[in-house]
Amino acid sequence: MPKSTQYTLKVLDHFKNPRNVGTLEGKGVAVGRVGNPVCGDLMDIYIKVDDDGKIEDIKFKTFGCGSAVATSSMITEIAKGKTLDEAMKITRQNVADELEGLPPIKMHCSNLAADALHEAIKNFREGKKGPVELGETRFACPAGEVKNVTGLAEFVGKGVFTGYEHPEQFRDKRVLVVEFDQNSVEFALELTKVTGRVILLSPLEQLAVNDELKTQVKRSDIKHLKQAELVEVSGGSEVEKVRIHDLDEDEEYDLVVDAVVVPS
Amino acid sequence: MNAREPEEIIFTSGATEANNLAIIGYALRNKQKGKHVIISEVEHISILNIAKYLRKNGFEVSTVPVDFTGTVRLDKLEERIRPDTILISIQHANNEIGTIQPVISIGKIAREKKIVFHVDAVASEGQIPIDVQRDFIDMLTLSSNDIYGPRGVGALYVRKGFLLNPLIIGGSQERGLRSGTEDVAAIVGFAKAAELALQYMPEESKRLRQLRDKAIKTVLETVPRSYLNGHPTNRLPNNAHFRFDFIEGESILLSFKERGIAVSTGSACSSQTLEPSHTLMSLGLLHEEAHGSLEITMGRFTREADVDTFLEALPGVVKRLRDMSPLTKTEVGM
Repeated sequence: MPKSTQYTLKVLDHFKNPRNVGTLEGKGVAVGRVGNPVCGDLMDIYIKVDDDGKIEDIKFKTFGCGSAVATSSMITEIAKGKTLDEAMKITRQNVADELEGLPPIKMHCSNLAADALHEAIKNFREGKKGPVELGETRFACPAGEVKNVTGLAEFVGKGVFTGYEHPEQFRDKRVLVVEFDQNSVEFALELTKVTGRVILLSPLEQLAVNDELKTQVKRSDIKHLKQAELVEVSGGSEVEKVRIHDLDEDEEYDLVVDAVVVPS
Repeated sequence: MNAREPEEIIFTSGATEANNLAIIGYALRNKQKGKHVIISEVEHISILNIAKYLRKNGFEVSTVPVDFTGTVRLDKLEERIRPDTILISIQHANNEIGTIQPVISIGKIAREKKIVFHVDAVASEGQIPIDVQRDFIDMLTLSSNDIYGPRGVGALYVRKGFLLNPLIIGGSQERGLRSGTEDVAAIVGFAKAAELALQYMPEESKRLRQLRDKAIKTVLETVPRSYLNGHPTNRLPNNAHFRFDFIEGESILLSFKERGIAVSTGSACSSQTLEPSHTLMSLGLLHEEAHGSLEITMGRFTREADVDTFLEALPGVVKRLRDMSPLTKTEVGM
């Protein structure tokens, strides 16, 4: 298969008419989540296990490409009615085979459904509901610590701003605001009036502000990066790039920005 | 394009070869003047790979960043110019997001510093005018199939007096810059396509611009959490480029394919390398935003009814994929 978009008819059928989309709640339910939106795939598989240890019901929610959706849909069909032991034996290859093949380039990246199912079973056996219901904050670092950022001091006045003044100077710039306190969040909202690109970086899964402000951020054009910290600022005569540490995935990546706002 | 002499046009096998000849041919011929070349971060992949080749062969290549609209930063360009800079290569317009580059300002800077200026005009040709005299352009790449001409032919404009090393050596056809018997039939077809493109351009670009603006307005109004990539106004008449939160581009593409509409995406999931588009990353987009991008290009055979079909289907396509996405609920409760 020369092109990544050349899917079998079976894959296309499961993409167009996905089986068992949705979520489950209540007794005997557990969730498995795999993937990472940064990579383009995120998959939740919900299972409901009956008293005999069989998968009575199964649902999925998926963000991803055609094969990510199709493999999620397919595994719900394969796993339904199976015992947990049987379901643990379902492999990525089984899913691909049932779909009459996946493009080789998609075999690893978008064939995560078996992993998500196994994760759900594991969570069920350990008595955990899974990541979606937990809503726990896995990284309890306090909001607003801007420490040990490589290059930060060097770029003060050259794209790094300390404090929340003069929004006009940020007109049409790509601005990264590091959440520190309520002022920093309010300033990020203020900036949306002068530029279309405001990124708000918070160390926690939620902003450490009141609900009203949270709602305002959600309704705004602010791009909110959660569970992330700034590790490096770089550029030439001015800031051109930042390096972000995704605390949830423990991964680092670069982002092009023109300005960085940190607490004074 | 306002070339002065027929000899200034070198026919090649296509735009890729023209880019190779312009950049590698010029760099090799003029390396005693300096070994530094400047390109932008959002050039076509052929230029990026030529830059890689030059780096492997003893040249230094600097890249100029763009702003959030995809426009080349002139201040950063000037910052990167050095005494040994011999060539600046910047596209006329971006092939993905449609942003038109300030070629006249870049040309002026290059001319003042006595640096040769090459422009890849493949994305813009036949859509918006270009003038090698007014815009201070020394070399210009053109393609035939991008203006509905035959495949396998392109051209490089080289201002009279500029010397290049040929990449194909033989019987000295095309001023010795591109040996090998010319494909006359293809060249004649290319010439006819260029003639028609020029003739249709004023009307066509006006028509497409109206369709484009209608598409942009409608999408941003009817689809929540949708954004335009590229410049709001200074963009190619035939290009609209969007991104949608919480969904993935290849899924959108497949959804339209079954409706008989061909669209494009910068998502890594539909590329051979599984890397998101370098242009979108240069804008400062996050990976997941690049994944959720959708490119719409229109042409001479696109009718308003086609655009309407797309616009009517889009909100439903996006909603269906968002309903399926685990990101949607946790993010905004949509």
